[in-house]
Amino acid sequence: MPNRVLPVLGLLALALVWLLNLGVIQPNRIVPGTGHGLVSAIGGAGAGLVSLILAGCVLLSLLPVRRRYLPLLALVGLSLALLPLLLEVFADRHLPDDAPYARSSIGAGFWCLLFLLSLMLIEILGRLGRGRWLQLLIIAVISGSWLWFLRGDGLESLSLVREFNARPDKFEQALWTHLALAFGAVSISACLAFFLALKMIRSVAWRRPILGAVSFLQTIPSLAVFGLLIAPLSALAAAFPALQAMGIRGIGWAPALLALVAYSLLPMVRNTFVALTEVPESLADAGRGMGMNERQLFFKLKLPLALPVIVEGVRITAIQAIGLTAVAALIGAGGFGSFIFQGLGQAAMDLVLLGALPTIALALLADALLTLLVASLKPTPAKA
Amino acid sequence: MIELKNVTRRFGDTVAVDRINLTVETGEVCVLVGSSGCGKSTTLRMINQLLPHSEGEILVDGKDVTAMNPEQLRLNMGYVIQGTGLFPHWTVARNIAMVPQLLSWPREQIDERVHELLTLLDLDPATHAKKYPQQLSGGQAQRVGVARALAANPNILLMDEPFGALDAITRENLQLEMLRIQRQLKKTTVFVTHDIDEALRLATRIAVMDRGRIIQHDTPENILRRPASDFVENLVGKQDRGLKLMSLHTVRDLMDAYSQPRQPEPGADGLKEDDSLRVALSIMLWQNWNQVPVFNTEGQETGTITRERIIQEGA
Repeated sequence: MPNRVLPVLGLLALALVWLLNLGVIQPNRIVPGTGHGLVSAIGGAGAGLVSLILAGCVLLSLLPVRRRYLPLLALVGLSLALLPLLLEVFADRHLPDDAPYARSSIGAGFWCLLFLLSLMLIEILGRLGRGRWLQLLIIAVISGSWLWFLRGDGLESLSLVREFNARPDKFEQALWTHLALAFGAVSISACLAFFLALKMIRSVAWRRPILGAVSFLQTIPSLAVFGLLIAPLSALAAAFPALQAMGIRGIGWAPALLALVAYSLLPMVRNTFVALTEVPESLADAGRGMGMNERQLFFKLKLPLALPVIVEGVRITAIQAIGLTAVAALIGAGGFGSFIFQGLGQAAMDLVLLGALPTIALALLADALLTLLVASLKPTPAKA
Repeated sequence: MIELKNVTRRFGDTVAVDRINLTVETGEVCVLVGSSGCGKSTTLRMINQLLPHSEGEILVDGKDVTAMNPEQLRLNMGYVIQGTGLFPHWTVARNIAMVPQLLSWPREQIDERVHELLTLLDLDPATHAKKYPQQLSGGQAQRVGVARALAANPNILLMDEPFGALDAITRENLQLEMLRIQRQLKKTTVFVTHDIDEALRLATRIAVMDRGRIIQHDTPENILRRPASDFVENLVGKQDRGLKLMSLHTVRDLMDAYSQPRQPEPGADGLKEDDSLRVALSIMLWQNWNQVPVFNTEGQETGTITRERIIQEGA
C-alpha cells in the first residue's frame, strides 16, 4: 500500500522551499536583510539537486515496493544530516568579502525544509518500527553532523554562529544554569510530591487540601509567581544574613527555583497519587493474604507497578520546567532565557534563537531520555 | 485443625457473620456454600485475619489466631482468590516463589520447588515458568494461583471462589485436578463457592450458610438426603437430587470386581473406575448397554458393572 503521509510532506517541502526565502543576507546585526530564494541562494544546480531529492522521496514513497522504507530512511536521514551544507553554499555565494559585519541568516524556506524533513523522518522510523536503538543512532548521527558543521569555518558567517562566538563562555554558563535550575526543581519537587502523595494515600482528610493547593499553585501565571516571590525573599534575606550568604535574594536563582518547584508539583503529585492508588485492590489482597506486610506490599507490588506512571509525571514536569526556566531569566536567574530577553531588547532575532533553540533541544532530549526510561520500566510485555 | 467458636463479625450495624461455630478437621475439605452476601467470604477472611472478627474465638491447631503475628499466620496458609491475584510484573516462576522468598528459602530450593509445583499442576516448567500472567489462559493462571498457594507447603489452604471466573469446562478440569492434588497432599482446606455442584464434588463436609449463619454442616450425602431446611432443599435442587447423589459415588463402589485384573480385549469399550455413577448411567443409557467392563487407570479390566445395580443402589 502506498504511503500517504510522506508524499504530502515531500510535496509540501518542495513547494515551500521554492516559494520561501532559503536565506537572508544582512549588512549588519540589526538592519533587516535581503532574502534569497532557492535558485538565487544555492544556484541552479543546487536547486535542482534539492528538488530531485525531494521528488525522489515522494516517488519512492508512492511505489508499492515492500522494502522502500530503508532507502527512504537513508535518503531523508542523509539530507537532514547534510542540510547545513545548503547554508554553507549560500554564505559562500552571497556574503560580500569586504564587509566584516555582514552576516547570513536562516530563512523561512530552510526552517520549513528542516521541519518537514524531520516529520518525514519520524514517519519513516514509525513505519520501520525497528526499536529505539536505531532511532537513537539516527538522531546521534544527525546531531553530530550538525555540530560538526556549526563548529567548522564554513558557517562562521551565520549570524547564529556569530552570536555564539561572541559569547561562548556565557553560553556554557547559561547551559549549566539552565540544567541546574530545571533538574534541581524537578528532583526537589519529585521528592516532595512523593511524600505528599504518600500523605494523601494514608489519610483521606489530606487529599482535597493537598490537591487543591498544588492545583492553585499551577493556576497563578508564571510571571506573577516570579514577581510575587521578590518581596518576601528580599525580606527574608534582609532578616537573616545567613540566607544572604547562601545567595538567597529577592531575585536570582532562589525565587526561580521556588517558582519552578511550585509549578512542578501538580503533575508529579497527581501522577504519583493516581499511579499508587490504581494498583488493583485484589492484588494487594492476594499479597496480604500470602503473608506480605505493608512495607513489602509497597516495595514489591505497588511501587513497581506505579513507577512507569510516576516517571511519566517526571517527564511531563521536566519538559515544562525546561521551558519555564527560560522565563525565569526575567528575574535574573540566568539560563538560556537571558539570551532571549537580551535579543528581544536589542531587536537581534538571532540572539533570541541562540536562547530558544537550545531550550527546545534540551526539552526534546529530556523527553526522549525519559520516554526511554518509561518504556524500560514497563515490566510486563504486551499480551501474547 | 481450624475451630471457629461463636464467631461474629459486624460491619457497622450490620451483622455479616452471626455467632457461627465450625470445626474443620485436619486434612478435610470444608466447603462454605451460600448465596452472595451470606457471609461465607467474610468467614474465610477471618480465618487468616484479613478481617478481624468482632467476637468469639478462632483457633488454628489449637492456637488463638489473635495471639499470632498476622503475617506469620498467613505465611502458613495458602490463599487462592477469584481472578488469581497474580502479580502482573512478575513471571510465573517468581509468582509461585513469592512465599518461599518471603520465608528466605535458599535459591536452589526455591527453583526446585517451583519446578515441582508446575509439574504437579500439569504446567510444563520449560514453557510456562518464564511467562507473565497476562500471557496465560484463565485456567492456566488459576493453576499458577493454586501453585503459589501451595509453594511453602502450608498445612492449610484457603480458597475464595477460586474457579468462579472460569468457563464451565475449565472449571470442571480444575475441580478434578484439585481432587487429585487433594488426594495426594491432604491439606486442611476451606473452600468458598456459590456453586452447589462444585461444593458437592469437592467437599468432605459442606457448611451451608444463609444470612450470616450456618444452616447445616454435614457430608455432601447427608446434605442431599436430609436437608435441614427448605433453604438447603432449594439450594441443592429438588428434582435432580437423585442424579446428584449418583455423582457422589464412583463406578468402583458398585462394580463386581474380578479377583485379578485382566488384559482387556483389543478395542473393548467400557467405563473407568473413577467415573461417577451419574456419568456411568448416562453413558449406558445412551449406548443402550446393560453390562459393561470397567478399566483402571492403567487400562486393565478390573470388573463389570450393570445398569440395574446402578439404578437400584446408586442413589
